[in-house]
Amino acid sequence: MKKTLILCLISGFVLALTQCNKASFFSEDGFDERLAGGMATVFDETSKAFTHPVTGLTDRQKTVHELGDAAFEQTFVAAPAPVNSGLGPVFNNVSCISCHHNDGKGTPTAGQTTSSLLVRLGIPGMDAWGGNLPVPGFGSQLQDLAILGKQPEATVNISYTEQTITYPDGSSASLRIPSYTFTNPYQPLPANLLTSPRMAPPVFGVGLLQNIPEATVLSFADENDANGDGISGRPNFVYNPQTGRTELGRFGLKANVSTLAIQVASAFNHDMGITNYIVPVESCAGQSQADNLQDDPELPDSILNYVTFYVETLAVPARRNVTDPDVKAGGTLFKQINCSGCHKPVIQTGADLSISALNNQRIQPFTDLLLHDMGEGLADGRPDFRATGREWRTAPLWGIGLFQKTNGTPFYLHDGRARTIEEAILWHGGEAENSRNEFMHLPVADRNRLIKFIQSL
Amino acid sequence: MKKTILAILILSAGLTACKKDSDSPEDNFDSLKTTVLADFTNIVALPTYQQLNNKAIYFNTTIQSLNNNATEANLTAAKEAWKDMRSTWEQSEGFLFGPVEDNDYDPHMDTWPTDYVQMDSLMNSANPLTLTYIQALTLSLRGYHPLEYILFGNHGSRTAASITERQKTYMLSLTTDLQQTCEALYQSWSAAPVNYANQIINAGNGSTIYSTKKDAYLAIVGAMVAICEEVGEGKMKEPFDAMDPNLVESPYSGNSIADFKNNIIGLQNVYLSRMGNTTGKGISNLVASKNISLDNQIKNQIQTAINSFDNISMFYEDAIIHQRPLCQQTMTALGTLKNTLENQLLPFIIQYIND
Repeated sequence: MKKTLILCLISGFVLALTQCNKASFFSEDGFDERLAGGMATVFDETSKAFTHPVTGLTDRQKTVHELGDAAFEQTFVAAPAPVNSGLGPVFNNVSCISCHHNDGKGTPTAGQTTSSLLVRLGIPGMDAWGGNLPVPGFGSQLQDLAILGKQPEATVNISYTEQTITYPDGSSASLRIPSYTFTNPYQPLPANLLTSPRMAPPVFGVGLLQNIPEATVLSFADENDANGDGISGRPNFVYNPQTGRTELGRFGLKANVSTLAIQVASAFNHDMGITNYIVPVESCAGQSQADNLQDDPELPDSILNYVTFYVETLAVPARRNVTDPDVKAGGTLFKQINCSGCHKPVIQTGADLSISALNNQRIQPFTDLLLHDMGEGLADGRPDFRATGREWRTAPLWGIGLFQKTNGTPFYLHDGRARTIEEAILWHGGEAENSRNEFMHLPVADRNRLIKFIQSL
Repeated sequence: MKKTILAILILSAGLTACKKDSDSPEDNFDSLKTTVLADFTNIVALPTYQQLNNKAIYFNTTIQSLNNNATEANLTAAKEAWKDMRSTWEQSEGFLFGPVEDNDYDPHMDTWPTDYVQMDSLMNSANPLTLTYIQALTLSLRGYHPLEYILFGNHGSRTAASITERQKTYMLSLTTDLQQTCEALYQSWSAAPVNYANQIINAGNGSTIYSTKKDAYLAIVGAMVAICEEVGEGKMKEPFDAMDPNLVESPYSGNSIADFKNNIIGLQNVYLSRMGNTTGKGISNLVASKNISLDNQIKNQIQTAINSFDNISMFYEDAIIHQRPLCQQTMTALGTLKNTLENQLLPFIIQYIND
């Protein structure tokens, strides 16, 4: 009897201790700050920094990644052709890599096969799924190139005027204010046209973003600004043509797409005119320039799946100079002036049992995947599902310090108007206006530290 | 035990101190780091791009001759000029970084596959084939491969008499366009505003692109790794795995294997800092000064990979069906080389080049 009592006491004691030691996350200082993508991080600071697969892929996964890599670089040509058939009849570019230079951003020009900027279109109103209303005769995207014998839908003209911004300390910077006009339309454009110029974003790390639990993203939302910090991020909910459901938007510059498969399929279709099993109808179907070839879907299903897997498994480049005192101080300032209110430094991904590098990773994407009002200066005036004409998804900042390496000349923001990180910060308005103002009031040395921190990402 | 360690440390410190004179291996290594970047630029990169531009100028003159007089001899001269220019271009891909990728000079010259539908449409149209018109065309209608298709036909079957007037006019504009791209590429390395040559030579010493020498070395070695991967895991492997001759690049001229081999010769030029008969101090010298066996290993693996191409005795589009073991042998050699570059040379750079 006594023995039983003692055993019970010991068991209870052990149980109590176990409860005290309930598993929790390691403290922040136990992590290596360089591991921007957790296990899905790659150490490469060169122009190829965005082009590497995550570690831990199986042999079969490696092969699929390589096949996707090859397809990502392939130039497509007019149908019918023995290889890479189906370009156009109207299109924006001829390959994925043409816009996503080195899997990164590219150049804010339009109408050339070396351009990375396209223009989304719409007219006021909503379609049956709450999405954008396409423009009759043009659809939801302006294809500014065409195969021979067809006409580009219109020419996009981009011009800039410089505007000087003066800091409280008297120093100044110059911002490029873009202007977009459309000439030579193949048929008249409507008077109530809505437009949204968008530059191709980098494609690495997106598998990790896809694997952030929906509950985590929603936990960042503060639609009515209950905490009074001036930031009221909200999720976009978008139509998924594959499932027929409304889902959380994660991808696209207005979080207007819910999955990578749809993002890739839409890009093949709308950007290159290549029909596929997810978006099987030509972007110009029903218009006077439709090819009427009975060859849809033009893209083999396997290629679409390979390319989707390729971007899903592209690793995130490691942070650099994390022990530099200025970088560390810049990181503190980043939090102090609440850049981190939207650009969330640390997020935990969810479970992924097939790709270990994406599974339960502590990542530093510097985004909350939510929509934020960015002010009139950045507004495009074209709603996209729940996103208003002033809202944009918080851009992930990982890899931003390598844009010069991957692109030669770096460009920032949704349409590449900013030439430097400083300019990009100064464009922030709306919910980010407080942070922008605080940045402007920092001493120049601190502004440089903050920028140095961002360049370390 | 502790005393022993302390003694070793003191002894090492003493030895290190004794070595500090102006001719120490460390000083030599330091000056070598600078020389290698300068020699890569002045002996390999700049002369390669200059040669490419000169060959482009000559290629254009052969097309002019063919246009003036459509003889078989003139067609042969044009074909040879295409191949000759191609060899330099493929060698330049041994260092495919900088303006060639930043300014998209590569896709302007070397977009593949051929767009037969649009090319036929162009030839059958009345559209002007002026330089200005050509330069507004999609990239698959410009550069090496449309020229290759018209000059060679399938497996070199083209005859001079069968080339139409419009095709000749098209080729005149195409070769002018090609030459202008080559000139722009050369200028981006040799002249303001970019002067990429100076950016590399002054790495870590005022370069706005390469704030450290290490950055420049990582770019150079990264490009060596990338070309191994491009040839061994891309250009060769994709048609090989699919057993699909349609996927082979440069099929009309039968030049695919020469293209692949020249890519790796370009890599060798970079490693040894060599161009023709001119040799300078290369990454090879840096490695040899610290790890002679690694240097020998890399040199041997490069040469083995280059030699292995000669074993393939037919067009690559046929070899992927009939000489599969030989194709595989080359891809394996390239994989071995890539592995060494990635897992031994890159760590070497990271370990020894800290400024």
